[in-house]
Order: sequence, then C-alpha cells, then structure tokens
Amino acid sequence: MLKMTNISKVFRTELVETHALSDFTLNVEEGEFVTITGPSGCGKTTFLNIAGLLETYTSGSYLLDNVDVTELGDFQRARLRNEKIGFIFQSFNLMPDLNLFDNVDVPLRYRGMKASERRPRVEKALESVGLLGRKKHLPAQLSGGQQQRVAIARALVGEPRFLLADEPTGNLDSNTAQGVMELLNEINAQGTTIIMVTHDQELAQQSPRNIHILDGRIAQESGKRTPVTPAETAAAVA
Amino acid sequence: MEIGPIVRALLRNKLGAVLIAAQIAFTMTVIINAVFIINERSRLMARPSGLDEANIFHVVNIGYGENYREDIVIEDDLAMLRQMPGVRSASSINAIPVSGGGSSTGIRATDDPDTASTPTAIYRADEQIFETLGLNLIAGEYFRAADMRIRSEPGETLADKAVVSAALAEELFPDLSVNEVVGRTAWLPGVVPIQIVGVVERLQAAWPNASFVENSIVVPELYIDTFTRYIVRAEPGRRDSLMAEVEEMLASRPVDRVIRDMESLEQTRESSYRIDSAMSTILSIVIVTLIFINSMGIVGLAVFSINRRRKQIGTRRALGATRPAILRYFMLENFFITSIGVVIGAVLTIALSIVLTTNFNMPTMAWYYTPIGAVLLVLIGQLAALGPSTRAAAIEPAIATRSV
Amino acid sequence: MFFYYVRLAALSYKRNPILSTLMVLAVAIGIGAYMVVFTLNYTMGGDPIPHKSAQLFHVQLDNGDPDRENDPPDQLTYIDAMALQEAGRAFRQTASSKLSVIVEPTNPEIRPFSVIGRGAFADFFPMFDVPFLYGQGWNAEADENIEQVVVLSRETNERLFGGANSVGETVVLAGMNFQVTGVLDYWDPVPKFYDVNNGPFDSGEALYIPWHHTVQSDLPRTGNTNCWKPLEGTGQEAFLNSECVWIQYWVELRSRAEEEDYLSFLNAYTNEQRNLGRFQREQNNKLFDVQERMIEQEVLPDETRILSVLAAMLLAVCLLNTIGLLLAKFLGKSAEIGARQALGAHKGSLFVQHVIEAGFIGLLGGLIGLVLAYFGLEGIKILIGDQITVSDWVHLDVPVVLVTITLAIGCTIVAGLYPIWRACNINPAIHLKTQ
Repeated sequence: MLKMTNISKVFRTELVETHALSDFTLNVEEGEFVTITGPSGCGKTTFLNIAGLLETYTSGSYLLDNVDVTELGDFQRARLRNEKIGFIFQSFNLMPDLNLFDNVDVPLRYRGMKASERRPRVEKALESVGLLGRKKHLPAQLSGGQQQRVAIARALVGEPRFLLADEPTGNLDSNTAQGVMELLNEINAQGTTIIMVTHDQELAQQSPRNIHILDGRIAQESGKRTPVTPAETAAAVA
Repeated sequence: MEIGPIVRALLRNKLGAVLIAAQIAFTMTVIINAVFIINERSRLMARPSGLDEANIFHVVNIGYGENYREDIVIEDDLAMLRQMPGVRSASSINAIPVSGGGSSTGIRATDDPDTASTPTAIYRADEQIFETLGLNLIAGEYFRAADMRIRSEPGETLADKAVVSAALAEELFPDLSVNEVVGRTAWLPGVVPIQIVGVVERLQAAWPNASFVENSIVVPELYIDTFTRYIVRAEPGRRDSLMAEVEEMLASRPVDRVIRDMESLEQTRESSYRIDSAMSTILSIVIVTLIFINSMGIVGLAVFSINRRRKQIGTRRALGATRPAILRYFMLENFFITSIGVVIGAVLTIALSIVLTTNFNMPTMAWYYTPIGAVLLVLIGQLAALGPSTRAAAIEPAIATRSV
Repeated sequence: MFFYYVRLAALSYKRNPILSTLMVLAVAIGIGAYMVVFTLNYTMGGDPIPHKSAQLFHVQLDNGDPDRENDPPDQLTYIDAMALQEAGRAFRQTASSKLSVIVEPTNPEIRPFSVIGRGAFADFFPMFDVPFLYGQGWNAEADENIEQVVVLSRETNERLFGGANSVGETVVLAGMNFQVTGVLDYWDPVPKFYDVNNGPFDSGEALYIPWHHTVQSDLPRTGNTNCWKPLEGTGQEAFLNSECVWIQYWVELRSRAEEEDYLSFLNAYTNEQRNLGRFQREQNNKLFDVQERMIEQEVLPDETRILSVLAAMLLAVCLLNTIGLLLAKFLGKSAEIGARQALGAHKGSLFVQHVIEAGFIGLLGGLIGLVLAYFGLEGIKILIGDQITVSDWVHLDVPVVLVTITLAIGCTIVAGLYPIWRACNINPAIHLKTQ
C-alpha cells in the first residue's frame, strides 16, 4: 500500500540545514492501522506531509499503491490525493463559510463528479457519521467532536484507500476522543488503511502497530501484526 | 463547476463583497458617463467649420481720431496684404467663424414679419472672402465686387445679395434643392429683401455652442464703425512667418489705429474649445484614477481574504484541488462580485445619464455604452484579481497540517 | 493616552505599510479630487459681495417681443435706463455698459492701445464698494455735466503711470483729454455679478468714465446687444430709440419696503409706457438681488456642476475602498486585539484606539490630498488658460485647507466605524488559543 524507502527531507536556509527525515524506510500493508508517535519536531508532520503527497522529499523513493510518486507533477499528485487519500486534521480544517453538505462535497467536486452522483455519496458519508440531519448547518454551529466527524465524513466520501489522520483527537476532550477513535476503528475494520499521528501514548499502545520517531528516524516499532490478506479485505468491504 | 458553493460562501461574507460591488457600481457609473461626455465633446470639436483652418489667420484693426477714414484704410490695407508674397487671399470681415463672438440675425423665407424667423450668423465681408475662407460652393455663384455696399450707421444691411450655407438653405426652403434655392429672395428683419446668389457646402457660425451653428449668411457689405477684422489665407507653410510680417506691415503704416489680437484660426479654435478639451482631459484623469483605485481596492481586499483563508486553501489542495482549480475559485469569486457590481452599476449609470440629460444640455446616451462598460469593468476586475489569485494558487498544500 | 494611541497608530502603519499606504492614497485621491471641484464651486458660485448682496438689485423690464414667450430681456434699452436714472427713485442706482476705448498715452514710447472700459454713473463706486488705491470716483455733477473724468484700474495705472498716484493727471481717451479722479485697488469680484451676461468670469474693466460719454461721443459698444425689433430708420438716433437692450441696470435698496416701493415704481413706469404703445406683454418686471440673479443666470458652468456630481461619486468609491481596507486591517489584528482585551483593555479604550488609528490615516490622506488638490488646481489653470481668468482667483485658502483636513479625518473615521465596531467585538478567547 505504502512503501517508503530511504526517504530523506532536508530543509535548507542560508545558515542551517535541517534533516527533518533521514533514511526513513517504512512499509504499510493494506488494511493496517498504524500510529505514529514522537516528540515535537521529530519529523512526524514531515512524514505525514510526504505520505499524503502534500510535500516532496529530497531523496529516496515512495510507492503509493504501487505507483512511484517521485516524479509526479502537481496535477497528478492532486489527483492521487483526491482519489486515494483521505485527510483528517487536528483542527478539522472545515470551510467556515460552507455548510456541512458543501464541506463534505468538496473532494467530489474536485473529482469532477456530476451533481446527481455526488448527492447520494455526500448524504451517505454524513449519515455514516450520524450528522445527516444537520447538513444545512455551518461548522461553527457544531461541537468539536461533531466537527471532527464531519471532517471524517469528508475524508471518507471519496472512498479513499487510506486515511491520514493528524492528531485527530488532539483538540477534543477524552470522551469525544473515544467516540472518534471508535469511528476510526470501525472504518479500519471495513478495510481502509489508516495512519494516525498522535501524542497520546495510551492511544498508541492500543493500536496494533506503533512507530516511534526520533530525529527523523524510526526509533522503535512495536506490535507489528500480520497484514490482512486481500481476500479478508474484500470480505470486510462487502 | 463550483458555482453553488462559491455563491453560498460569498453570501455568508457579504460585507467585503458588497464593498467591492458598490465600488464597481459607482466606478462604472462615473466612467461610462465620463466616456460619453468625452465622446460627445470630441464629436463637437471634430465638426468641420468649412474653412481652410490650417492656413488662415486674422487680426483686429481699430481706428481712432478725426483723420481715420476707415473705408480708405481698409482698401489700402487689403491691397497691400494681397500683394505680400505668400498671401493667397485676404479680406475684411466682421467676425471670425468658431471664435465665439459675432453677429446673428433672424431670416425668413417670406416677407410676412409675423412668421417665425430662422436664426443665423451673419457675416459682412468683401467678395474675396470665399477664396480667403476656402469655402466650397455647391450651387450658384459668389457675389462680386460690384455688389459691395458701404454702411456707416446702425441698421439693417444695405446689401441685396447673399451667399448662404447649405444648412441655412435647407432650413429656409426645406422643399427646394440647393440649386433651386439660388435666385430666391429671403427677408432680414425690417422686411429687408436679399437675394440668395450662391450656396456653400458648409460655413459655421461664430458660436460653437449655438443651436444654429451650421446656419450662416454672408453679405457683401462693409460697416464703418472703426472696428474691423482682416482675415488672411496663406500659401501652405507660410502662415506663421506671414503673421509676423503682416503685423509689422500694418503697424508701420502711418494710420491712427491699433492692431491687436493677431491669431491663427487654429489658435482661435483651440481657445473656443478650450473648456471642452479641458473637460475631456479632466474626465480622462478621473477615469484612470478610478480604475486605479478600484484595482487597488480589489487587490487589497483579495490579498487580505486570501491570507485569511490560507489554511482553507491548503486544505482544498490536500483534498485534491489542483492549482488551476484554486485559481479558478478566486477568479470566479471575483467574477460574481463584479457582476453584481456592474448590474447595480448599469442601473446607476442610466440614472445618472438621465439626470445629466435633463439638467444639462446633453444628448441621450447611446444604448451600447452601458453593456460595453459593464464587460470592460468585469475584465478589469478579473485582471486585478489575477495577481492575488495566482498567489493563492501557489499556496502549498502542506499548510493544511500546520497548527497556525 | 492620546499620544500613546497616536504612537500605536504609527506603529500599526509601519507593520502593514502596503495596506496602510493604499488607504492613505485612496483617501488622498478622493479628498483631493473633491476639493478641486469644491474650490471651483466655492469661488465660482460664491457670493461676490457678501455684506451687501441682499441690498443690490438687478433691474429687468419686460419690453420683449409680444409674439414670443421668452423671459424678460437681461438688459435695458437706452430709453428705459435713462428714464430710471432720471427718476432716481432708488437709494443708489447706476446704468452701465461695456465699451471699447483707444488710449493714447502721453508718453510717446508707448503705442496707443485699446482697452475695454465701462460707462457708469457716480453711484457705481459706492454701490459696489469698489476699493480705491488713490483718489475716488466722480460725483453726480460730473455725470450731469458729462465731465471728462476717468477712474483707472490698478493695472491700467501701472501701464500708464508706472503705478504712481495719477490723480489729477490727464489721459487721452478716444481723442479727448480725461482727468484721473481715482485709481482702483485690485477689484475682481467672482462672479462678475454686475455684468454676468457679458461673461461671469471675465476680468474687470480697465477704466470707468461717466456713462453719458458712451452716447455723446458714440463710443463703440462691446457688450451683448439684443434687438427683437428692427430699427426704425438708421443712425444713432434710431438705435437709441429702438427696443434694443444693451445696458445693465442696478439699484441699491436698503429694506424690504424700499424694494416693494421700487418694484411698484417700475410697474407704474412700464404701464405708462404701455399706454404709449411699448411693453405689449403682460407685466413681468424683475428685481433680483445678487444671489437670486446668479442663480437665475445659472452662472455656475455646466462643467463644474457635472464635475461636482462625479467628484462626489469618486469620493464615495475612495471611501468604500477605505472601509474595505480598514476592515481588512483591523480584522488582521485580531490577535493583538485579543491580547489587549486579555490584558485589561475594555471596549471603550479599543474604540478610542481605533478611531485614532483611522483618524491618523485620514490626516495623512488629507495632507496628501491637499497636495493633490493644489496640483489639480494648477493643472486646471493650465488647461483652461486665459479662457476664463481662473488663475487670478482659484487657489487654496485657509478655509479650504481646514475643510479639506477636517473632511479627510471625518470621512475616514466614519468609513472606519463599522470596521472599528467589528474590531472591538472580536472574541479574545478564539484568537488567544490558536497562537
């Protein structure tokens, strides 16, 4: 699903050269739920940005769903993000001026889908997070947990192969966070690969596979589980 | 492609949009009406006078004292003028076309003084005036030296022949062709008959703003009142040097008189239309200023709103928006705002145009001004939005994961 | 505290120089353009003789063509002007008219030249409060005896006598010797109210002589002459007895009662003339005071009135622009405002702070606007040139400068009210958290 080999990312300013990631190698199989932990500035966000095609890297190779993304232009990268990846952000990143329906609708519009196709998908995604009844509301009218559910609906609406979650519970209280985690586990159970960056040690320990990053390298890896076979995935989706 | 959400988002953020739309509406109102006024003034300025303007100049001669014999002085002056090398023709005339000062009268096609008269400029001049002005005779003939009359007291003209402009002929005898007008008699105030011997294609009155600017009549008469104008047509290229020579020649003659206001007809025209051209220049500056302010306003607010939405833009990029899609989003947004502006602007434009037409002596604006102006303003808006939108499109998607 | 806020305003300008400069420019352009037009209107449409304008009346008698329905003529015939002058029923009165005069300087170095003069009666000078540099006007006897006396304008005195006191000197006009009784100081009322139909923005005459010379010496008239009826016969006599109008007539009346009396005198006069066969229209004599006359004559040119409308809209565009930019600027400072609130600023003090910030921008805009207005007016002088003698009287005076600055500050603060209100109502919590 995701195969990074010897990825390095160097930020250069006139004075300093910072290695955000160095020789980073990681293989995530289809259907896995991986958590990423590490202290501030360890390279978590850089990893996430590279994995999500939000940023390029200095060297190494990255195969996403068997496609080498190293040489891809902006247009193809945008299209891969749109079709294969769902993003969930710590501060939800909903469009404040759009109602819930229009928010969830955004990725489908970039896919160029017809209105008749988009509507049922958006409604299904909102229903799956239990917020279909409030589709005309604005984000500001919702609680933090509800906003994050909308963001999850938006991430799921394009039926991506994997989800990238950046501290999805970081701005939520523990009860709400628990609800969001249950939702993510459910999504994973249906076969979607999830990579989640988190600060929360407890969450990390619960996860089947946790990767701890320090200074741009993998410092520790725990609970690597056997990947699900394609047959199992197909069953889960059905 | 994403019209619905853009409009809905705009409606939630009305004020910025309303401000820009209102600016565009006012700008459009001013610009279109200003352009119309400029065009209208240039149309007035472009009307031909019928004269060979490039080669003509004129000067005022005022005599004084007991020894001043105006008829003799004029005869001698003109004889000397006509002999000067470079002079094609010279005449005396009471007023200069387009200059802003002259005589007018009422003329009738019948001898019944109770019928309405047609207003016209009246020029008193000698028989060489046609050659001097460079007029174009289209029917009949010019009057001759033998037709000249000399009058020394106030009253109606003593002349009995006249040449009229085609416009005056048409207004006096609407049913006759110019050729049929020749030989007809018209009447000046006091039931003074005058025979029309010729028709010229065009000869403007002295007042560019007069309603009867194309109506002129030329009579063969010299009025002795100490004041006359000499008008001289030079050979091409000789005008400027001749002006100095003529002034010197006239001043050197031993006559009790004052020579003043030596001017080329081009200078005369320039000063008669000075206010019109000043108005055009001022309005052009207003137009440029308005476009500048508007564009600055659009750029300023667009940069601000884009800066405020950086994270949103990054998120859209993360969700799969390509750079052109972001560019399109902001261009479309600007398009909607300016469209609302020009719709309101169209209403205001027409309202102001009506106010100007009813309160000031101005014709009605042609229908196409408003739509053309609207399209141009939308284009200006799009141009102004292009820079900020390009900047928006350049925002990196990685900004979506940053915490601020 | 005020200076603290001024300093904050200056700092805020520096932090956001492009946005701030745009705002200052918008205010400057809007105010500058508006002030150019304001100055034109203010001088061209102003009261040329404020302390007396309600006591000076322009006389119009309706001797027009009975077959046409137009307004009463703007000027009087010779017959009527002389009749009114002889009756002398007003506190002061003067007929006057423009003429062309040849001046033959005694100094042989200066060639004879022609000037525009004015024939007037003795009352002309005290009526219109004409300022004298040397000497004074002539008296009523001089009018009656048609004495050869002259009042020179300051410019003419410069030209003939090098600016020296020339009272008592002789000037040769139209071949006759005239004695100087007075020299005017600068006198150029704008508009030239006493003769608007010969050009409301023309400059004043070069010299003044007792009116009767106009007829006695048959000096060439140069003003507007209008005849609706052909002369009966030829010659000066026929012209003087005609219905041709060419004389401006003004009276000074000190009270409402005098005004009413005078109007009934005029009506009685025209009734009497009606019986003699003249004045065949319905009674329609007019007695307008200076301001009424300026309005009735539409002295203000179309151009400046059109420009006033356009300039007001230009100012509106600039202010809308300023509102937008101020909104952008103040909302962009949300974090700072949040921090200030957290540190104890209440809404009132935030309000004052931002009003001063807006006022600061307005002040800068006003100052630059003044410079723009100055260049704008200079530009207009160049464009118009000698067409109307605009250069002599269009300038920025103290009241205009004060109006400009006040208007700039006021407009910017008004434009800023909504942005300020929004800024003061920013919720501090939201903006502190994300920092």
